[in-house]
Amino acid sequence: MRRGYSFYAQLGLTVLLCLFIVVPIVMSALAGVTVNIFKGVSSGLTLRWIFEVWDLYAQSILLSLWLAVACLVVTTLAGVPLAYVLVRRPNRLTRMFEEILTLPVAIPGLALALALLITYGGFGSFRSSWVFILIGHVLFTLPFMVRSVAAVMSAMDMKTLEEGAASLGAGFWHRFLHVIVPNAMPGILAGALMVVTLSIGEFNLTWMLHTPLTKTLPVGLADSYASMRLEIGSAYTLIFFVLIMPLLIAMQMLARPGKKRHTASQLAEDE
Amino acid sequence: MNATEMAQPADQNNQYARNENRASTRIELAGCTKTFPDGTRALLPFDLTINGGETLVLLGPSGCGKTTILRLIAGLEFPDAGGKITFGDDDVTRQSIEKRRVGMVFQSYALFPNMTVAENVAYGLKVQKVERRERDERVRAMLEMMHIDMLADRRIDQLSGGQRQRVALARAIALRPRVLLLDEPLTALDAKLRVRLRSEINGLLRKLGITAIYVTHDQEEAMALGDRIVVMQKGSIAQIGTPREIYRAPVSPFVADFVGASNRLEGRIEQDSLVLGDVKIALDQIGHAISTGGSQHGKGDDGDIPAEVFFRADGLAICDPEQAQLRGRVEAVSYLGEKSRLTVSGIGESPVTLDVDPDYQIAVGDDIHCCFNSERLTVFTRNMDADCREKAV
Ligand SMILES: Nc1ncnc2c1ncn2[C@@H]1O[C@H](COP(=O)(O)OP(=O)(O)OP(=O)(O)O)[C@@H](O)[C@H]1O
Ligand SMILES: [Mg+2]
Repeated sequence: MRRGYSFYAQLGLTVLLCLFIVVPIVMSALAGVTVNIFKGVSSGLTLRWIFEVWDLYAQSILLSLWLAVACLVVTTLAGVPLAYVLVRRPNRLTRMFEEILTLPVAIPGLALALALLITYGGFGSFRSSWVFILIGHVLFTLPFMVRSVAAVMSAMDMKTLEEGAASLGAGFWHRFLHVIVPNAMPGILAGALMVVTLSIGEFNLTWMLHTPLTKTLPVGLADSYASMRLEIGSAYTLIFFVLIMPLLIAMQMLARPGKKRHTASQLAEDE
Repeated sequence: MNATEMAQPADQNNQYARNENRASTRIELAGCTKTFPDGTRALLPFDLTINGGETLVLLGPSGCGKTTILRLIAGLEFPDAGGKITFGDDDVTRQSIEKRRVGMVFQSYALFPNMTVAENVAYGLKVQKVERRERDERVRAMLEMMHIDMLADRRIDQLSGGQRQRVALARAIALRPRVLLLDEPLTALDAKLRVRLRSEINGLLRKLGITAIYVTHDQEEAMALGDRIVVMQKGSIAQIGTPREIYRAPVSPFVADFVGASNRLEGRIEQDSLVLGDVKIALDQIGHAISTGGSQHGKGDDGDIPAEVFFRADGLAICDPEQAQLRGRVEAVSYLGEKSRLTVSGIGESPVTLDVDPDYQIAVGDDIHCCFNSERLTVFTRNMDADCREKAV
């Protein structure tokens, strides 16, 4: 088949678009390891900025990772049972609850943060602890976990599976832990990646909620852009990328149906 | 399969049968009704006894309440206040399914996709904390008995429909339940496999001697499997009887029609005879006649009682023109191999079917002469049915 003019036009456009997105990322990453950005790459490459970022912002980066893990634990422990109830008992009340749960996604993070501040801002030690930010993150990410798990749960015939297990003598918790959870694992995994990614990258809400002692990675990033030299900001971006990219790639792989099944069965085998 | 392979599982089963058969559980449902929260009255008041070791088939059209009865026995639904369910001497009315020791086989199999075949079968034993050695042993025996031992490590999504159903059966009986409940277990399979699995299940149930309740809407399946059949109609029991009774002596037009007597003619009873148009047949020659026994509203103006006649394709046969009772015209001929089935018009309001020798030369449009095979007729006085219909929900 001869490839016509339109094929090359499309190819050209795609390449251009990709370049449009990729070039700034590469430039920014490059800036993070360049000795002097104003002189250009010819000034030489260095890891100095990366170390400097670490010296300045290690606290923020570690806090973000810690928050992401804590957020994951909370959203999993709360989200899986919640999704179960929503799918298993669809009635007016649970549907209303689902709507309310989704609100934080629709409301701008700033507004949500303001609401939290107005309500709990007065409790001094609580307001200045990382738990305060964790609550914001949980509110924001929980719907993603619930949605992802609920989607998988509604695709499997939970009622019949449970009835089968019950007829074999299994009580509620045994059924839930040994039948429902393992079969919902693809949804839990996808939700988990989403939660971690969102929590690490969250800025709006966190920026409002943070105190000088509870600065997270993206807040620190903004801080470095505003007050440090460009190379440091870029090096910081590079670190952020290195953290977030594997998560994004894993998420992509999970979304591919073939892979999904594979992962699910492997997990089940571990179980 | 060689002799030694056969011997092992057979022994297991015998031991099983010995353990359970003597004490196989008799089940009684007394005064049960079922109303769902949305107000649907799925079951009207009924009593039902299932003898120990018996296979009872619940047969009826879609929505008549078969599954609901099964779920009441399983403990997945509870009867309305006043109903009582007993397993042997235990009152299980308010007992949940986990405690009832029932084995269930679902139409959709309900196998656990996250487990292998062996793990599925072992699940119940694990729940009951059966010790590992014994568990493995029993799982192996179950798989062998169901001829799926080579599939032990397969995942459920790697099995065919028939294999899945075997796994579901193995899983259900591995725990030696007091009663085995099967809800249309073969409906999802193709016709040939259905017949094969049907006879396997039949053999299994006899071998185990377990009390079993089997739901189906397939008359043939019911006949093949049931010690007794319960025909259901709109939430109530229309008839309980052996397959022969149900087939030969249906108690109502509904049952007759449902078990395959699909030809229906209208006539009347005059004194001791059934009158169908010009044909008169003495009542004592008729295979099965049910009269309303002098009910008043059944009578027509002239004192005759309207009657409904049901028969299968063997209730009518081609005969000599001189002796013929009826004449009709062939509308369709379908060749079925061991016989040909004719659809004939001009006999009743709607066409009737009758079977002839497959080599009999006949074509669409031919006129034929037929006689009734009065032994094969089932007669109901007509208004009885109308009453029944009114009573039904
Ligand atoms: N959970 C429920 N809530 C309300 N109505 C129900 C419920 N389950 C069943 N029904 C109704 O009860 C009646 C009997 O249902 P059931 O499932 O017992 O029928 P069935 O004989 O098993 O039919 P099928 O052959 O289609 O499976 C039906 O009218 C059905 O709509
Ligand atoms: Mg049913």
